[in-house]
Amino acid sequence: MIDETIALSVRALKKWVRNPAAVLPGLFTSIFYLVLFGNSFNPTSLVTTGLAGSGVPASVIAQIKTAILQQTFGGAATYITYLTAGVICLILVFNMAFGGIDLVLDRQLGYLSTLLTSPIPRAAIYFSGVLQNLVKVMALALLTFLIALVIPDGLVLQSGFGPLNFIGIFASFALLGFGLSCVFTALALSVRSIDSLVAIVNFVTLPLIFMSNALFPSGSFPDWLKAIAQVNPISRTDEAARLLIVNGTLSSSQLSTFAGDMLYLIVVVAALTVVGYLAARRALRPE
Amino acid sequence: MTKIIEAEGLTKVYKGKVKAVDHISFSVEEGEIFGFLGPNGAGKTTTIKMLNTLASITEGRASVAGHDVSKEPGATRDSIGVVPQELTADDELKGVENLMLTARLHHVSGSDARQRTQELLKLVDLEQAADRKVRTYSGGMRRRLQLAMGLVHMPKVLFLDEPTLGLDIQTRKKMWDYIAGLNRERGLTVFMTTHYLEEADSLCNRIAIIDKGEIKISGSPATLKEKVGGDILTLELSENAVDLTEFFRGIPDVSDVTKTGQTYRIKLPKTEKALPVIVEGVVKKNVQIKEISFTKPTLDQVFLEVTGKSMRDEEASESDSFLQNVMMERAR
Repeated sequence: MIDETIALSVRALKKWVRNPAAVLPGLFTSIFYLVLFGNSFNPTSLVTTGLAGSGVPASVIAQIKTAILQQTFGGAATYITYLTAGVICLILVFNMAFGGIDLVLDRQLGYLSTLLTSPIPRAAIYFSGVLQNLVKVMALALLTFLIALVIPDGLVLQSGFGPLNFIGIFASFALLGFGLSCVFTALALSVRSIDSLVAIVNFVTLPLIFMSNALFPSGSFPDWLKAIAQVNPISRTDEAARLLIVNGTLSSSQLSTFAGDMLYLIVVVAALTVVGYLAARRALRPE
Repeated sequence: MTKIIEAEGLTKVYKGKVKAVDHISFSVEEGEIFGFLGPNGAGKTTTIKMLNTLASITEGRASVAGHDVSKEPGATRDSIGVVPQELTADDELKGVENLMLTARLHHVSGSDARQRTQELLKLVDLEQAADRKVRTYSGGMRRRLQLAMGLVHMPKVLFLDEPTLGLDIQTRKKMWDYIAGLNRERGLTVFMTTHYLEEADSLCNRIAIIDKGEIKISGSPATLKEKVGGDILTLELSENAVDLTEFFRGIPDVSDVTKTGQTYRIKLPKTEKALPVIVEGVVKKNVQIKEISFTKPTLDQVFLEVTGKSMRDEEASESDSFLQNVMMERAR
């Protein structure tokens, strides 16, 4: 099964690499969120801008900014430092969700039928869909991280930030990505038209993002929304990644939070893998 | 001869109510080209889908290359090559990449895969275009590539669903040559559907016509044509000739006679026996023949008689408009 999974994933990735235009929409989304959203909705600026002309000393305004970042955004040096992990999660969700379009096209154009009449395990069709989307989206996640680093007032890493932080951050993204890919690949194999896929995806993705701490901390949410955000795997991914981004070196309590988040993600992703596989197997059975 | 495909009481009911195929039975001999014809919605695509494991069998049984299709789907898939009517070769991959990927998915290893790929590219005259992306191929080149993709693992049975759909007559003829050559030189068994009756007539050893989920008639093209009444002899006699209708009807191998003016249309199930008797009789009666001509029966007549529809009235595809548009775009 592994050989067939790799062969089919390589097929999809070759097409992706040969068509640079396919990467651009995801890249622009990253830039728009980091540069435009990150600056226009920057909560520290929103709060302190009005104070500048009201006689409040500049040093006090600076202290307020620091306090907001410290208290609300977990000690991030800038709002974009806080936002980067959320934008990467947003990129993961949207690109995984719409990545299934290629699979729907494969069905509509008859390519899927060709695969189903060849002697490959059905699981290889499913897992190749999961794998190819994961590779594509992780590449976009990496590019988003790099963009955040180079833009003005962007992502600021602490002095203790090292390779282990980087590995930990991308491990959390990869876990979330794998889980999302399982769900959306199964969905893409189950629907018969792109319209159906887009309708379902649009219905699911925005609430998934807004019911998490991707863009703003869940501490300010009403209780009901906070409760949902706490079990949302996107929030747990963001929390794990932010701990490593904002703090170069983790304290023992931070390390324990990070480990708890990763364990939570592993359990959720395992469940999503099983659910996705069962749904895909049902979608790929003979008519 | 060994039966390589066997279907007994094969039935498919979709969602418990739509009976697409209704208790059909047939067999295909090893090394045969078997044509499956029928109007749109007759059940031919559903039958192919059951034989190549894409659709489950509601009732009855089928075996392909000795494997029970329902009980041994994996072994069945190992034994078959499928060339669908859709143009499924990947546009963004090169011709050679499409073939190598198909080989890998059929467990053909590296050096074998490379060798077979080269052989097949040569067979279908695509050697020069092997390193070009499929998006640059013409419709005929795509069909040829798909044919090669269906053969890369050396299947025992090749299923061809409308193999020349949308091709011009020259390219279609070339495809016939490839298929006939594969059958002649490699003894490959071919199960094909087609809307082009001349294609079935020229290629198939045997044909089955299916309509409303049932096989209406089957046999060799010559046998089927014989069943609809044989050749038509048209005789135009001199203006002053006596009426010979009853004389013609009295000849044992004449099945029907119609007269319009001095022109007779005579149906002959066995031309070789009836013709000398007719000509000799006319000469003996001192009647002059002004014009004589033959019309051989066609499969279209057989199709019309069996299904009540002319194949030429049928649309070329059962697929939805989206697929048709994409295929037309690719075929250009």
